[in-house]
Amino acid sequence: MNKTKLYWSLQIGGWTTYALFQLLIAGLQSELFQLTFRQVTFLILEAAVFLLATHLFRNFIIYKGWLEIGMRRLIPRVLVAVVVLAFLVYLGRISISFPIGLFNKEAFNPATIGALVAVYTFIIFLWVLLYLIYHYFERYNLALKHQAAIHEIELNNLKAQLNPHFIFNALNSIRALVEEEPKKSKMAINQLSNILRNALTTDKKRLTHFGEELSMVKDYLGLETIRFEERLNTSFEIDPESYNFQIPPLMLQTLVENAIKHGISRLKKGGNISINTSVHAGVLAIRIRNTGQMKTLNGKDYGARGLGLKNTNQRLRLIYGDDAHFHIANENDETVLTELIIPQKIYYEDTNNR
Amino acid sequence: MRTLIIDDERLARKELMSLLEDHKDIEIIGEASNADDAVKMIDELNPDLLLLDIQMPGKSGFDLLQMLDFTPAVIFTTAYDEYALKAFEVNALDYLLKPIQEERLNESIAKLLKMEEQKEKSTSSDEKKLGLSDQVFVKDGDRCWFVKLSEIRLFESDGNYIKVYFENFKPMIHKSLNALDEKLDDRSFFRASRKHIINLSWLETIEPWFNGGLMVKLKGGEKVEVSRRQAAKFKDMMSL
Repeated sequence: MNKTKLYWSLQIGGWTTYALFQLLIAGLQSELFQLTFRQVTFLILEAAVFLLATHLFRNFIIYKGWLEIGMRRLIPRVLVAVVVLAFLVYLGRISISFPIGLFNKEAFNPATIGALVAVYTFIIFLWVLLYLIYHYFERYNLALKHQAAIHEIELNNLKAQLNPHFIFNALNSIRALVEEEPKKSKMAINQLSNILRNALTTDKKRLTHFGEELSMVKDYLGLETIRFEERLNTSFEIDPESYNFQIPPLMLQTLVENAIKHGISRLKKGGNISINTSVHAGVLAIRIRNTGQMKTLNGKDYGARGLGLKNTNQRLRLIYGDDAHFHIANENDETVLTELIIPQKIYYEDTNNR
Repeated sequence: MRTLIIDDERLARKELMSLLEDHKDIEIIGEASNADDAVKMIDELNPDLLLLDIQMPGKSGFDLLQMLDFTPAVIFTTAYDEYALKAFEVNALDYLLKPIQEERLNESIAKLLKMEEQKEKSTSSDEKKLGLSDQVFVKDGDRCWFVKLSEIRLFESDGNYIKVYFENFKPMIHKSLNALDEKLDDRSFFRASRKHIINLSWLETIEPWFNGGLMVKLKGGEKVEVSRRQAAKFKDMMSL
């Protein structure tokens, strides 16, 4: 429903209810539920005056920009406006009572004026209250949606992507392998298609099963082993409980890719990559060790690597708050250790499924 | 053309060799899996063409080229490296994307053979010296060039570096002027002073200078002083 339609249905519905309520009370007050035609006309017109008055008041609020000002400035303005409006409605009531013939001299009695203006003030105040509450609620909702959208965009920007360099190098190796070892080349094509399929489908997911990610990483390392041949050795040591966990898609993949790109591929003799996982107290620890050394001082490598690491950190924070950790450092003179700590619970709910 | 394949992956080298099998103009004289081995082989074998991978362990393909005094023809091979290749001026280089397509490879080789033909007509036969049609690889920060010696007006030493003047550029290369001087062909290049080597084909005017020296102006606008000792040599050469 669009907002103008909603506004008018609430206005008309509300004031019609008000008129019916007034009629009911008047009816109960009269003997045998006898209402004169004049009384009915008067009460309906009175509700119409309210409708007109509050509608003009709404336009006035919007025109004056009162929705944008702070509470401190808004409250006194609204209180004054409500009293003035109540008085105007009272004048409106007198002017409709004339033609109908219900005019009573009592209407100019200060006590009557005071009492009725007070009642009207209360009614209009209720109206303003409902109007503002609706407005603030809507605004809050919008802000929430907005925040969720930003959050989603941020996360998408941080999402890892498969390195094109890897894909084309793998294809090149496979091409050479077709003649040399047709069987192995067929297997490599399967591995590559698994990786591509995984990368294409998990791209849209926030989390993926550890097992899926691991099998992708295994395919990936399989292909890199074809490419690097004896220069790359891999080993795995996986805690079976790891498979109960979900992890951000392509995160492990990216870290292993990094280990190859910055570690193994820079070494003429190559080296090892080992992946080890363990679960303690509902927390998954993934450790990737690769031969190589991280340069930290003015090293050009660190900059390029730094961006990827920052992304990983930010992704973890967006998904897990402060409960996940990520750390990379030289473990000793020849090994770099990348450590990823992942809790079972995620911090933010999935905005995709809202 | 005598060709050297340089790539750290055995399968990638193998793939290139099988692609080149049918080319009778291409003779593969060796393969290297890293830059250091490649430099040795280039010095020994003096190839006409390098098929060169950019990303290799240790030193990259660019590092390799910077180690050479002059470069043979080069075709880069790379899987996906738009950034590195963007460093080059348009038309300055040829590259092949892996997996390599046969048609693209054929085009590149045809282009090279055409250039090689022209080169052979113009170069004189002094084997070891660098002639005007030889090229050097120059890398300065993020930018790279293959520069023909004929386009270089002036080499100017600056500490451990040499400033290379060509077109509107004067990038630095990490080499010694003395070593370079020995490699350059005397008929085209002249050692004007301790700090300068000029390309004679870029000479514009020559004026007498203090202490029996000379001041030469090059077509690019640079002015270079010829020391007294070299001035005599220079006059001899010019009077020929």
